[in-house]
Amino acid sequence: MSVVKKYSSITNRSLQNVLAYRTSYVITFLSNFVNLLAIYFLWQGIFNGRASVGGYTWDQMRTYLLITFLANSVLSWYSETAISGKILDGSVAADLLKPIDFQSARFAETLGTSLLEGGMSTVLIGIFILFTSGVNFPHSPLVYVLFALSLLGAMLVKFGVVYLAALLCFWSTGSMGIVWARIAVTNLLSGALVPLAFFPDWLERVALLLPFQSIIHTPTVIFLEQATAWESLSLIGVQCFWGIALWIAGKCMWNWAVRQVTIHGG
Amino acid sequence: MRIIEARQLTKSFRQAVKEPGLKGAAKHLFAPRYIEKIAVQPLDLTVEAGETVAYLGPNGAGKSTTIKMLTGILTPSSGTISVNGINPYKKRMENAAQIGAVFGQRTQLWWDIPILESFSLLKDIYQIPEAVYKTNMNQFIELLGMSEFIHLSARKLSLGQRMRADLAASLLHNPPILYLDEPTIGLDVSVKQKIREFIKKINQEQQTTVMLTTHDLGDIEDLCKRLIIIDHGAIIYDGSLKDVKSNFARERVVFFQVASPLPALLNQLAQAPDIKLDIQGELEFSLSFDRFEYTASEIVGRVMKHGEVVDFRMEDANIEQVIKTVYDGNLDLKHSRPQEGA
Repeated sequence: MSVVKKYSSITNRSLQNVLAYRTSYVITFLSNFVNLLAIYFLWQGIFNGRASVGGYTWDQMRTYLLITFLANSVLSWYSETAISGKILDGSVAADLLKPIDFQSARFAETLGTSLLEGGMSTVLIGIFILFTSGVNFPHSPLVYVLFALSLLGAMLVKFGVVYLAALLCFWSTGSMGIVWARIAVTNLLSGALVPLAFFPDWLERVALLLPFQSIIHTPTVIFLEQATAWESLSLIGVQCFWGIALWIAGKCMWNWAVRQVTIHGG
Repeated sequence: MRIIEARQLTKSFRQAVKEPGLKGAAKHLFAPRYIEKIAVQPLDLTVEAGETVAYLGPNGAGKSTTIKMLTGILTPSSGTISVNGINPYKKRMENAAQIGAVFGQRTQLWWDIPILESFSLLKDIYQIPEAVYKTNMNQFIELLGMSEFIHLSARKLSLGQRMRADLAASLLHNPPILYLDEPTIGLDVSVKQKIREFIKKINQEQQTTVMLTTHDLGDIEDLCKRLIIIDHGAIIYDGSLKDVKSNFARERVVFFQVASPLPALLNQLAQAPDIKLDIQGELEFSLSFDRFEYTASEIVGRVMKHGEVVDFRMEDANIEQVIKTVYDGNLDLKHSRPQEGA
């Protein structure tokens, strides 16, 4: 399949590209680790002396934190700024001169960096678990399969959100505002900040109707075995739905943007 | 065969009008005002397959806008374009597969991986057959002298090396059409030469149609038989380089070196309105004149009548001066054009 080859080659080069930044890679690695520690101890403080908070025991909570960390890192900072950067500095023009679909190419690129960042996070979590105890591991292998699927789904949905946000840069001249706003909304409504179960009832219901919950909520629910196998499958189905819907929305927005807006920077 | 055809092509942009000062900025925030800026006026353009065309104009004349519309990355406000039978902005991907493009200031190479990797990625993107890729790669590496830097990442290349690599990248898939936007900007003489020779060779061997914008008139003299000049979004000249030279390079300069000073002659010449005298030394001076008014022998004859000429040499106005006069608005190629074939 030569069409697949087009995009898999992009993924390959993108992976090479990230590997070229060895120093920045190590620094990102360390700062992620510090972040994880900070959040971990924050929650440990909150749980101090309590059996459970909002229905979560401390053991469940720390598992939740590790899964959140993993799910969040499969598609992180790099891809966020890479797409909007392309639009802002005008190098999107170079992509338009190629017989490739912009959205698929960006997805392929993101996949390349995600493989690396996901791998890195897994290692990090592995190290972390070695020094802690009480993390809840599911026993059924089926859960791991479903969990892996849900991580893929989460990535697809997150890409959709990031891509749409990046396209907004066609209309603005800076990306930072958009990126920060997107991160704030995503973190809150996906359950990355606190589990959705901690929300007031109405907000929890709203959050469950939005695509963001697919990014963090779904993988954590599956890993913590708070859903049965069938429920998990239907959650993954919801992820697929959002992934496809956002993909189509991205496509429409791209077509609209390309027609309406000249390319920045001459 | 007409490979590029544009009819009544226009493009206008919306520009924000902001009044000065904080008040103006605040006003713009709530009630933005815009004006339409016309970048390209209704423009007709035809390029035959295998031609090399120079597309010139001062900064902001609408050159890049036209090229962007032809490559499909900018949608025209009105008019039609057909590039090798394809409408570039409606079928961007199909069009992209049949063109190569180098935009001088931008690179299409990946910044942090060896450029060889960028090339092999292009092989997959354009679905270039292995044999074609190998042949082209070997030829390009040799012609452009790329072997010493092909393993480096684009970040580490000098401007000249990067430009050569970019040029190679744009031609790997043997596109029938090549757009070059200022391909030699900022390069040293020897790299310029290499690039021009390369483009010439590709044009001759593959019959690649080349359309090039440049401010470097050496590019034009070396590469292009046809010249299109655009200003304020409209084509003001379209014809051969030779015609421009013979019709518009009117000024001719003769440099004289004489045996003894000739004050009488110089006085006389200083009064002649259409001959310009420029004194370089006691025994050296030059006369510039319109070669449609005087012949060179007339001028030389006149000087020789007054005294002994030791040496003289003649200089034609070069294309650079013609273009400069056009840009300055002192020469209207369309209207002051002498009768055809004059």
